[in-house]
Amino acid sequence: MSTDKKRHALVDAVRPNFLEEVFPYDLPPLIRLKGPVVETIDGQSVQFDFGAVRSRPIVITDTTFRDGQQSRPPYTIEQMVHIYDLLSRLGGPNGVIRQTEFFLYTKNDRETLDRCRALGHKYPECTGWIRAVKGDFRLVKEAGLKESGLLTSCSDYHIFQKLKFRSRQECMDSYCEVVQAAFDAGVRPRCHLEDVTRADIEGFVLPFVDRLMEMSAKMPEELSVKIRLCDTMGFGISYPGAELPRSIPKLIYKINRECGVPSSRIEWHGHNDFHKVHVNGATAWLYGCDALNSTLFGFGERTGNPPLEGAIMEYIALKGSLCGIDTLVITELADYMRSIGLPIPDNYPFAGRAFNVTSAGIHAGGLRQDERIYNMFDTGKLLGKPPRVAITDKSGADGVVHWVNEFFGLRDDDRINKIKVHKMARWVIDQYEQHGRLTAISDQELEVKAKEFYPDYWAKYREGK
Amino acid sequence: MATVEERVKAVTARVLGLDSKKIRPEDNFTEDLGAESVQSIELVAMFEEEFGIEMDEDAALSVTTVGAAVDFITNVCKEQGVDVEE
Repeated sequence: MSTDKKRHALVDAVRPNFLEEVFPYDLPPLIRLKGPVVETIDGQSVQFDFGAVRSRPIVITDTTFRDGQQSRPPYTIEQMVHIYDLLSRLGGPNGVIRQTEFFLYTKNDRETLDRCRALGHKYPECTGWIRAVKGDFRLVKEAGLKESGLLTSCSDYHIFQKLKFRSRQECMDSYCEVVQAAFDAGVRPRCHLEDVTRADIEGFVLPFVDRLMEMSAKMPEELSVKIRLCDTMGFGISYPGAELPRSIPKLIYKINRECGVPSSRIEWHGHNDFHKVHVNGATAWLYGCDALNSTLFGFGERTGNPPLEGAIMEYIALKGSLCGIDTLVITELADYMRSIGLPIPDNYPFAGRAFNVTSAGIHAGGLRQDERIYNMFDTGKLLGKPPRVAITDKSGADGVVHWVNEFFGLRDDDRINKIKVHKMARWVIDQYEQHGRLTAISDQELEVKAKEFYPDYWAKYREGK
Repeated sequence: MATVEERVKAVTARVLGLDSKKIRPEDNFTEDLGAESVQSIELVAMFEEEFGIEMDEDAALSVTTVGAAVDFITNVCKEQGVDVEE
């Protein structure tokens, strides 16, 4: 590597360059990729064209009703039908949210599936999820589903310690019998390679996938096996140079190019045990896996799965357009989830009550001058949530005036200036300096003061609301 | 009628809790008189009330000393047709 220093000349400007080709503001910031990216695999330099993701048919799949329900009390049928309806609106007519999967074991499971399908939405397509048990395909068939996931755990932790197989061969033969049963039932099997990031890739995973590809070759395309790569414990690593079994680039390369599983039949399912869940999913997209499996707000077993709304933003950023996605539904879903008791932390990206709320006066000052300074994109337009300030002793008059203008909905020349809010700013400061307050001041408290200090504005902009 | 300078000093003393006799034209509101952020806003608001004028927020807040405030307010009063004792 060269150690030569390089001088960098100032490019002087008297007008700002907002880099709008990357930060268009009416969309999430775009991710512009230029290849090739090189990864060394088995001693060979292998190139990946990340830029191709813009035209590749990548999709998001959903497991809110399966993995998402493994971390919380069950949803009611009505709740699931409503969530499914919102998922369909969110993903839009192009099916960006392509599929969602359902349990099939109970009467309620089956009624939920029937009622979701009765809505008549093309997307998300409904698929099933069953154990790797041949008899379970009866459930899939009876439900009229074309595709079902089935557990084909592949680390020795699962093969020997959980499933008690006597050998890997016995395990593989058993799995393949179930896959054959799926074919016989006319159901496309989606093999969930559980714990793949802790498995013997060369010794078990690739030979198993080879065999699945051989079996698929004898079947019509619509029945050919899909592969879901399940990072069950969140061990996956996104960086180049990481070794198997944890390397996502190498894992996808081997499944895709060595075993020949087309990108359209590879799906990534992650977990968040090491805070890597979203970037690992996006990495899988870039290295050749078309489907990213996710759950709403990341709810899922233990630490959760790739958050679907995060995948939505990533998708838009990679594609450079909304592609039919209705991002406002993210806020609708968050409100609905909160209403049925699902906790979403206030600072949770895109959906928490305070994801774009600042309590720092200096940030509030920036927002007042140009909201783009401290807002990541037009959250008012895309999420129905313009940036706001939370009032504390750190908010200053800038924070107070921003709050007042937002509260009264004042725009452009109608906005009032800092001088006009001095009484309210004083009241805020006194809460902390005179009364020893240690908590943020709620909107409800501020509303009372707004009415007291600005009766004219209240009468004009709030009366009757 | 008191002069602009006397009235500015009186308002400043009231808002910042000081003795108006000890306020000098060269005093900096923040560094010498200890005006905090919200007090700067209050000062501008009180000057507007005292003189019956409206000041541009950014311009008013960029004034740093008592003497500069006297000049600034005198000019605003002239512009807005408010009679004052110079």
